[in-house]
Amino acid sequence: MTRYEHDDSGVVVIIGSGAGGGTLAHELARRGVEVVLLEAGKHLTAEDFVNDEWAGYEMLTWLDKRTASGTWRAAKDHPTSPSWSCQVVGGTSVHWSACCYRFAEHELRARTVYGDIPGTTLIDWPLTLAELEPYYDLAETKMGVTRTNGLPPLPPNNNFKVMHAGAKALGLTVSTGRHAINSIPYDGRPATMQDGFTITGDKVGSRWSTLNVEIPRGLATGKLELRPQARAVRIEHDDGGKASAVVYVDAQGVTHRQKARAVVLAGNCVESSRLLLHSASARFPQGLANGWGHVGRHYLRHVVQTVWSIFDKPVNMHRGELMAGLVTDYLPHDPGRGFAGGYLIEMNSMGLPTTAAFLDPGWWGRDFVSVIEQYRNMAGIFMTGEDMPQAGNRVTLTDELDAFGVPVANIHYDDHPNDLRMRNHGYKALTAIHKAAGAKRCVEAPAYPASHNIGSNRMAANAEDGVLDGNGRAWEVPNLFIADGSGFATGGACNPTLTIVALAIRQAEFMAGEMAAGAL
Amino acid sequence: MSEPVRPAIAHRDPKLPPLPDVPEGPDWAGGLKVFDAPMATALLAVTRTLYPHQGLREQIYRRVIARFDAAAAASPVVAQGFAAFVDGVNGAMPLPFAELSEGFREQVLKRLEGTAAFTLVQRLTVRFLYDDVEVWEAFGYEGAAVHLGGYVTRGFDDLDWLPTPQPGDY
Ligand SMILES: Cc1cc2nc3c(=O)[nH]c(=O)nc-3n(C[C@H](O)[C@H](O)[C@H](O)COP(=O)(O)OP(=O)(O)OC[C@H]3O[C@@H](n4cnc5c(N)ncnc54)[C@H](O)[C@@H]3O)c2cc1C
Repeated sequence: MTRYEHDDSGVVVIIGSGAGGGTLAHELARRGVEVVLLEAGKHLTAEDFVNDEWAGYEMLTWLDKRTASGTWRAAKDHPTSPSWSCQVVGGTSVHWSACCYRFAEHELRARTVYGDIPGTTLIDWPLTLAELEPYYDLAETKMGVTRTNGLPPLPPNNNFKVMHAGAKALGLTVSTGRHAINSIPYDGRPATMQDGFTITGDKVGSRWSTLNVEIPRGLATGKLELRPQARAVRIEHDDGGKASAVVYVDAQGVTHRQKARAVVLAGNCVESSRLLLHSASARFPQGLANGWGHVGRHYLRHVVQTVWSIFDKPVNMHRGELMAGLVTDYLPHDPGRGFAGGYLIEMNSMGLPTTAAFLDPGWWGRDFVSVIEQYRNMAGIFMTGEDMPQAGNRVTLTDELDAFGVPVANIHYDDHPNDLRMRNHGYKALTAIHKAAGAKRCVEAPAYPASHNIGSNRMAANAEDGVLDGNGRAWEVPNLFIADGSGFATGGACNPTLTIVALAIRQAEFMAGEMAAGAL
Repeated sequence: MSEPVRPAIAHRDPKLPPLPDVPEGPDWAGGLKVFDAPMATALLAVTRTLYPHQGLREQIYRRVIARFDAAAAASPVVAQGFAAFVDGVNGAMPLPFAELSEGFREQVLKRLEGTAAFTLVQRLTVRFLYDDVEVWEAFGYEGAAVHLGGYVTRGFDDLDWLPTPQPGDY
């Protein structure tokens, strides 16, 4: 592997090797840019992964403590792990279920379309869908998204048959959806064997991840150096206010300072905001790039929730790809429903260990027992919808320090009335679908720890409204970028990763262009 | 009407260590590292009251206690949480928790709900009880699949009591 010196100030340093950082690293490297990729987690391989929900969770998850406050259920149910992501080379792309949807056109103009909703900090994106579309095309091709480029959809599995029957009975539009999971062999990776364990690493490799696609290709260019078990703890800047180095701690606990031509944060939202806040200096007393006070604010996590239902006969939802189902009828913005924005309905499947854990985390007694005993006959259905940005929903630093001396982050989130109206509407819609397929009991499970982490370093058309410009570049620090979901101006409804990848491709093009022009 | 249910055959990933082997018979708690027999008995009664599955053998709940014990051995904070919790349940009535009727046991646990010690014990019970191959088989979860070729030829789409969506319709 190519190696760069710590005092080589010609390299772009990327923090985090997940969907955003791993993609950007490859896209820069193949354009000839020299990149050092710092990743807190280990470099695991398919051989290391297991087919076991808890063992996989413990192997891959970012388990460092966080704290939570606010009215969201995560503060009660998951007070020290309110947000869910991975700490491993490949980040959460090693764990995700690979649903791949595009933002709707109106979602990128949320403030204009939804209007002035009290308590929200809605803005329009500094980008239009037309500007994003070519990059969505590139992302779908690289990820092998089903139903694009002639790739067939995932086939219906048992859980989907339930969803399909119910949705059809209600006249809804239902399909298995789009996934970065091979339905047929593609790009040197095999078709899914329907083992149902993408979330513990995917031993088969039929699902796209930066671990199995982007990082190896980036390394093959000879321009990328990957440093696993390298925990970034601070970003430094020079006298001119430009980012100049990243301080990180290696596996042996030794601290290093990697000089940089440009720095990109891709730590999955919470960690990126945390690092910016922690990198405060005399010149940036509120934290790096935080002159307007937006770093950490407007944090979003989507209106995510699941209904688990019991049927008379076996479903065996654990067999096969976990989220291969989609209903799009509630995606349009329809104020007549009583809330702004929309949501997607998707399928959800879990094994018995995590179904029991997430069904309702404090629930015990005979009623719980009577439900979980019928795991075999259980089906799951899920939604992800747009939540409203609020200035007070934010990542902040607490007084407690972690093992690296960085303050533990707190995530504060209060549900907006619009969020609660959407939740209520969604629970009813999810339940109706399962009832129409014959469910005898439906359980409304609360949201699990935030799996979609968005918005806390948002892009905006004007510096005073956000942290980043439309290229994901910090308004106040011209060689500092963000390549994760924290840069989204608003959340939209869909799962975020396809958009993170599309934006990373676009950002690589921009950065390489600026470098070629001598401007970066 | 429910159909008669064939028990599932479940698999634990072959790379993982086996579940703890707890002896049958009354002296099962003797091999534990941290808990003494009264402590183990109290916790066993707690787990059976929290998650009272009629069809599951006592041995399965004993394995949960063995995993509690391992967690306590690994972390003094966890060990202290268990100790505080057992003090709480045993001190709530003029009789030790394990000797209480089901109704009294439930009352005691309801009163402790919301305490940190209760949350620790309740969450860890869920964590370990439903992570047991024998429970998987009882409730129809088949577990590890990749070493068997996944489910692509083993029933990922074998549900036959609803129509199968046809190509073009999904
Ligand atoms: C259960 C679950 C299911 C999901 N399913 C879907 C889905 O179906 N569709 C979808 O679109 N999205 C899904 N997601 C979300 C998806 O995983 C994320 O949107 C995506 O991975 C985010 O990419 P990222 O690059 O921002 O962060 P990540 O992929 O999480 O990568 C961030 C990386 O940064 C590293 N890092 C952080 N801080 C530091 C530091 N200080 N120093 C060094 N390294 C650091 C982390 O270790 C990590 O490897 C799911 C998430 C979960 C939890």
